[in-house]
Amino acid sequence: MALLLRTHYDLAKTSIKRNRTRSFLTCLGISIGVASIILILSLMGSISTLVSKQVEQIGSNLIVVRPTSTLSTVDSIVNELTTSTQYLKSNLALKDVKTIEEVEGVDAVAPLAVSVNTLKGETGNEVPSATIVGTNAEFFKIQNLSLKNGAFLREDAETPTAVIGQKLAGTLFGTAEPVGKTITLLGKRFIIIGVLNEINDPINFNNIDLDNTFFVCASVLNSIDNSLQIQQINVRTENTDTLKETSKQIRESLEVSKAGDTNFTVLAGDEITHPAGSLFNIISGILTVVAGISLVVGGIGIMNIMLVAVAERTHEIGIRKAIGATTSNIMLQFLFESLILSIFGGILGLILGYGLSFLLCLITPFNPYISVKIVAITFGVSLVTGLIFGLYPALKAAHKNPINSLKFWG
Amino acid sequence: MSEEDNKPNINETIIKLEGLSKRFGYGDATSYALKNFDLEVKRGEFIMIMGPSGCGKTTLLNIIGLLDTASAGTYFLNDEPVNRIPARRQARLRAKKIGFIFQNFNLIPNLSIIENVALPLVYSGYHKTRRLIKASEALARFNMKEKEYYLPFQLSGGQQQRAAIARAIVAHPEIILADEPTGNLDSRSSLVVMEELQRIHSEGNTIIMVTHNPNLTHYATRVIYMLDGSIDKDIKTVKDSDLPVPVERKTPKKIFKSRKKSAKKSKKRSKK
Repeated sequence: MALLLRTHYDLAKTSIKRNRTRSFLTCLGISIGVASIILILSLMGSISTLVSKQVEQIGSNLIVVRPTSTLSTVDSIVNELTTSTQYLKSNLALKDVKTIEEVEGVDAVAPLAVSVNTLKGETGNEVPSATIVGTNAEFFKIQNLSLKNGAFLREDAETPTAVIGQKLAGTLFGTAEPVGKTITLLGKRFIIIGVLNEINDPINFNNIDLDNTFFVCASVLNSIDNSLQIQQINVRTENTDTLKETSKQIRESLEVSKAGDTNFTVLAGDEITHPAGSLFNIISGILTVVAGISLVVGGIGIMNIMLVAVAERTHEIGIRKAIGATTSNIMLQFLFESLILSIFGGILGLILGYGLSFLLCLITPFNPYISVKIVAITFGVSLVTGLIFGLYPALKAAHKNPINSLKFWG
Repeated sequence: MSEEDNKPNINETIIKLEGLSKRFGYGDATSYALKNFDLEVKRGEFIMIMGPSGCGKTTLLNIIGLLDTASAGTYFLNDEPVNRIPARRQARLRAKKIGFIFQNFNLIPNLSIIENVALPLVYSGYHKTRRLIKASEALARFNMKEKEYYLPFQLSGGQQQRAAIARAIVAHPEIILADEPTGNLDSRSSLVVMEELQRIHSEGNTIIMVTHNPNLTHYATRVIYMLDGSIDKDIKTVKDSDLPVPVERKTPKKIFKSRKKSAKKSKKRSKK
């Protein structure tokens, strides 16, 4: 059996070599389809790694309160995308932070009042649309942030103080060590007391790039900006076992304090990254289907070429049958040809797909994701494509009448 | 089983056709290529089939070569009714027991001569190296060794036909079927090809050849004239008892057995 398969492989290889250009173009059709699938799978893999890494980093004792009620259905995700929710007024307030602090089992609570404003450094440098976050000292503990130098925010500080991200420090002062220098926001001067270590994680559940953020105390920000909006409240519980129970209690306490207003969401543990994950799953699913279509087109290319080959080699089929080839011999010979074409196309697509995802990684924050699973999927997909689209031409060749085939001169 | 039993019977019937008919078309358009055709072929015969175009010569050859099936009647190949042999085994029989020689040579244009000659061995389960060795041996018999790696179009018609004959005999078949093998050749090449066929026949092979050329009948041991799908005249020029004896070919198994035997004999002798 092994000898027979080896012989069929040799015969198929010879026929492919005979039409190098045609075979290469057919492979290219398959490889484009495979490459797009690889690209999508690689991107999907890198984003899910990013998301799962975040869940690991935040720990399993984190609860997040957001101002809108979030559902993980397709409709709500599409709605979120198409509606400009960021301009809506948040119904979370600083008093809600106090309400949560009083709930049993809560260890730390930090509000996130995100706004965009112009920052002016003492050297005269200006950042027109800097991210300003009004929070408290607990935020740094919850996020496990570390300082390059200086200290974290203190709410009891006499003068307005601020902590800034390292990249923002570089933009404003041209140095990563601006501790002691001042920044002007809305006409108020803030003394920089700390600079964060570089995190390089622009995609996170806080929706802020921590390296480019200006942190001040929420209470101070509230005093100079009356339109302060709290987009999120991060809560850390004392115990991971009581996470669900605590989040339920937070919801109940907030409902009571907000006089029955339920327009907020309390997310715990894995749920925090869930909306982003499911949105990505929908998009990647759609993209994979689109890539699948290009693979089908490639498969049709294989079928077309194989049908041409069968027509061209009708006389050869007649000769082979006359000198002892069985129906299955002829079928296997042509099936091997289409399998070789599709597998070679798959390998080419794998290289092309990863090449493209590496290129894409140069301009996006994602790292290319390579796994045995993706390689196996590629191999399987190209094998199945070759098998499906090569079967009809192979059967057509195998069932040719030897006498009629011998009379045929292509 | 004694060695005598293994030896092929010289007068053994290798092919037997009983009331064979081949019909084409239906209803008013029905025509018969073969009609109640009876034929018995002994091992070692060189039969030439002659007759006008459309008398059913090629159809007969196709049926004998298991490429076509009869509409009625029975075809016995080595006493086994062919209609009971499944298609897969029929293909194997074509590879191992039947050799085809065509008028237009039918060599695969993209394969070298040696690969073309080795082709029947592909379907007989030979390993590549063994295939090429055997094909090379077959080509050497026809003085074509130096043309092994030529492509068919690089050879003359006579050389191509010699390569095709080499392909037909490479698997040492019992029956060689030739459909006008000299039809596309000049008289000199025809002579060479006929001499080769005669040599193959003298080794005990059974040859059935279709031809239009009456000058070639002197090579045959039997000449059959066909007319409208039936035998018109059947002339035997050589008695069955005078037919050539098949040359016994040693397969690797047989070689191994004979070596074992001789080793045993020499051991016995040394003991004595």
